[in-house]
Amino acid sequence: MSVRNSLLAILAAQPTHGYGLKARFEQSTSGAWPLNIGQVYTTLARLERDGLVEPEPVHDEGPRQTWRITDEGRRQLGEWFASPVADDPPPRDELAIKVLLAVAADRHDVTAILDRQRAATVERLQDLTRQKMRADPERELPWLLLLDALILKANAELEWLALCEARLSQRGAP
Amino acid sequence: MNSHAPILELESVTRVHGAGARAVRALGPVSLTVAPGELVAIMGPSGAGKSTLLALAGALDEPSEGRVRVAGVDLATQSRAQLAALRRRAVGYVFQDLNLLPGLTAAENVALPLELDGLGLARAREEAAAALERVRLGTLAQRFPDELSGGEQQRVAIARAFVGPRKLLLADEPTGALDSVSGEMCMRLLRAQCDAGRSAVLVTHDATHAAWADRVLYLRDGRFVDAGPDASSPAVLRAGRSA
Repeated sequence: MSVRNSLLAILAAQPTHGYGLKARFEQSTSGAWPLNIGQVYTTLARLERDGLVEPEPVHDEGPRQTWRITDEGRRQLGEWFASPVADDPPPRDELAIKVLLAVAADRHDVTAILDRQRAATVERLQDLTRQKMRADPERELPWLLLLDALILKANAELEWLALCEARLSQRGAP
Repeated sequence: MNSHAPILELESVTRVHGAGARAVRALGPVSLTVAPGELVAIMGPSGAGKSTLLALAGALDEPSEGRVRVAGVDLATQSRAQLAALRRRAVGYVFQDLNLLPGLTAAENVALPLELDGLGLARAREEAAAALERVRLGTLAQRFPDELSGGEQQRVAIARAFVGPRKLLLADEPTGALDSVSGEMCMRLLRAQCDAGRSAVLVTHDATHAAWADRVLYLRDGRFVDAGPDASSPAVLRAGRSA
């Protein structure tokens, strides 16, 4: 996840201080990826170093430093929105690694590993689906879109587990 | 029977095709209890026995061993005529396609099981209208199946499955031929019907639809898979009623 570009996107809407950035990011993404405030300040420092954000002149009444995006920051943000996200190389996937290593080691309990994972993933899918049932499509669109994404990812995992099971049983067949 | 008694019970049920050395066990032994208001999904690879289980639950087939009770009635004690009446009054079926009679309107399709059961035409139409209203198709009641989308046709099939006194719906891949939005609409309506006290057993390959269920069971080689020491048998998952 690009914290750097996310902060630029929020600052492009309006100048904001560090805590405001954390709050707005979590609000926009329905709290799915909590941001560490230290990470926000470190990222702001790097963005400032690279000339993408700058501090606003300090006012007497507010102790907090407010930041705004620069023209160069807007240009780089535009590039980010314009480029597709590429998973190449693929992000590290613990489940895939676990199953591949279990198969490579010829472990006798590969099916049990798949079964336990499937049960856990189905449970997660049920939980996400219940949240979707309750979500209001008018007022909670970002939340609903996020739930859709998580549901389809969980479903893809289940499809993959089913394929693993089918291929392993074919391998075992005479 | 009281309102908390199970609507469906399978007790150590097996189904074996053929005999002797050529006998093939299609299912079991499996046990399954479905409570009023419960939506149970059954998943598993092809040939695992999912459709066999559904046929046994719906009195469309007889077990080789074990007991099947629908609404408290032991199917083994019933005559052919009694079983036919039970199928009309207690159980509704929804399949992937070919659910509706093309020459009848949506309302007539839904009213049909009640009419066959001897209910007067006016009462049957009244019940059908109420059932169609519950799946939000009240305004399309006079349309013929070919004037409805695939999703709407499946909603008519759901309405028919729950028309009148029917309390148990058995569905085999009901969303298989639908796009994801129509499929989700069907599951939303099915969920609402179960939340209102009816029950359903759904066989599906689609985990996103199975996830609308209170319980998701996984069938492999004719048996429910126990996912480990934590899983309560025979369910892979505990009942987690939707809020």
